Amino acid sequence: MSLIINGAEYELASPPLTSLLNVLREEVGLLSPKAGCQQGGCGTCTVLIDGEPRRACLTPLGAIEGAAITTVEGLGDPRNLSPVQAAFHEHYAAQCGFCTPGMMMAATGLLARRPDATRDDVLEALAGHFCRCTGYVKIVDAVLSAAAGRVDTTRPEPEAEPGEPSVVIPGSPA
Amino acid sequence: MKAVGARLPRYDGLQHVTGQSVYVDDVRVPDMLWAKALRSTVHSAEIKKLDVSKALRVPGVHAVVTHEDVPVNIVGHLAALGVPADEPLLAEHEVRYQGQPIAVVAAETEEIAQEAVNAIEISYEEREPFLDIRKAFDPDVPKVSPSGNLFVYEPYTERRVRKGDIDWAFEKADRIVQGVYRPAAIEHCPTETQVALVVPEATGRLVIYSCTQAMYFSMGVVATHLGVSLNDLKFVGGTVGGGFGGKVDTAAETISALLAIKAKRPVKWRWTREEEFLCSSVRATWHVEIADAVTKDGWILGRRTLTLHDAGAYTRFSSYGATKHAFHLGGAYTIPNLSFNAYVIWSNHVPTTAMRGFGVTSVSFAVELHMTRIATVLGIDPWELRLKNASRVGDTAPTRVVLKDPSAVPTIQAAAQAAGVELASEYRAMTNAPRKGKTLPRHLVDQLGAWRDNGGR
Ligand code: FES
Ligand code: FES
Repeated sequence: MSLIINGAEYELASPPLTSLLNVLREEVGLLSPKAGCQQGGCGTCTVLIDGEPRRACLTPLGAIEGAAITTVEGLGDPRNLSPVQAAFHEHYAAQCGFCTPGMMMAATGLLARRPDATRDDVLEALAGHFCRCTGYVKIVDAVLSAAAGRVDTTRPEPEAEPGEPSVVIPGSPA
Repeated sequence: MKAVGARLPRYDGLQHVTGQSVYVDDVRVPDMLWAKALRSTVHSAEIKKLDVSKALRVPGVHAVVTHEDVPVNIVGHLAALGVPADEPLLAEHEVRYQGQPIAVVAAETEEIAQEAVNAIEISYEEREPFLDIRKAFDPDVPKVSPSGNLFVYEPYTERRVRKGDIDWAFEKADRIVQGVYRPAAIEHCPTETQVALVVPEATGRLVIYSCTQAMYFSMGVVATHLGVSLNDLKFVGGTVGGGFGGKVDTAAETISALLAIKAKRPVKWRWTREEEFLCSSVRATWHVEIADAVTKDGWILGRRTLTLHDAGAYTRFSSYGATKHAFHLGGAYTIPNLSFNAYVIWSNHVPTTAMRGFGVTSVSFAVELHMTRIATVLGIDPWELRLKNASRVGDTAPTRVVLKDPSAVPTIQAAAQAAGVELASEYRAMTNAPRKGKTLPRHLVDQLGAWRDNGGR
């Protein structure tokens, strides 16, 4: 079996019924797709298969002979982030970070298909992607700002500047 | 105040968005084996037979551990605080909850390990389980532990908080407002399931890759079970795929360590999503009953409470959580006369544990619903009822601590503002300042007076 993974061609020894998730993690050694449930329920294993976000845990290797796979490792590195990566960093959309690779791949797939994605598009694309930490708001904001081109991929560090408290508390000594 | 409110980059943000964060499951070592567990399929039973010999004969199996392999099997999570040890790492003659680990296998692959688990011979004599904590005081219910179903806070069976003169408050009250509040169990459901990887070094030292939220605590638990000293263990942690309290229990580390010692190979144990839901600890079910002695104009003179906390099959941190719960049962309000009783009850549910605000979220749930209930019964605005009774500088907590800087008044005002509620001017102007005039009713004048008159009891 062979796959094109992040642009490079691989000949694989795993049997055809091995899940793509196990092929990537255990044979190829690409560790960004995570095994959150291995039954299609959480989205942490999501990768692009020929440009479409797919759950690697439910995809047998034998079903995708020759396909092009993209993982987070294929998006960008710390000095050269993709717009989605930069937006997730700027918007604090990764807390524990375990759901983040799957979220980013779903968002990358969406924006490739619909560069001007709306909030509804984002919500639909992220449906079934489980995040236990963030409460989703920052993730949706990150994807929308990437869609609007409001990210600076050359300076991904958020600026350290004092913010304004959002609620003015009467009688607060501060 | 330069740091508060500042936008600082996450220290691990770049590695998260580039997929470079190394969680336990991402650590790669050569010759690693995989673990799978035989877990109880029933809530409560005597184990009549346990035979792992067929599992050992499955090709590719390198080790099987049962309770006989554990140097110190029964350990208590709060042993350092003097809480009696009650939980076996691996079940001995009985199981007390569905999902309790009994035997664990290490093999070349997860599939082989599972095949070996399926080959273990086990038979149970099932017992009637005890699952409804409200029946804990019924003499006919099944006993979870030989000593019964109640954890004992020496010398009582409950955590008690007493303040003031509760009988006076209930005599003087215009109304008694009662309510029962039952926050349900919650699974922490971290996106990374429980996982550990243990690598034995040639020196005999164990390298333990752990998803624990509590490194030094977990080191202590593993060392105690193994009967080794802390310098025989090297813990590697700090990258946790979500915990929320559920990774304070040391779930996978000790058993993986035993397998690694026995197999003389690295062993990884990664729980499935089903195991996470069915066998990992959860936030407890609580049953909270409140009766408040109130005046027509909305002062709370006294509060009586009864709390039942479902510890599940073993104590873990429950006695600590219920103590914290009892200390906070006044909520953000000052009530001078109190009688709180909080019971920790063992059941045949999965053991319960810490979760975000352990013991106190159940208070907030119960007390805030109860405040709204009082307001409804009395026909008083719920914001005003809260602000009136909100703790002020100089008020005393249920534990009789004098409050120096309580934040209830500004917090309730901020909540009203955020909710778009227009408060009456006297409540808008209210501050934290010590009570005087209208805000100092007779019953709050000398808050520790009745307690002192009682000889400090
Ligand atoms: S691991 Fe594939 S959806 Fe959860
Ligand atoms: S950041 Fe932790 S699960 Fe999403």
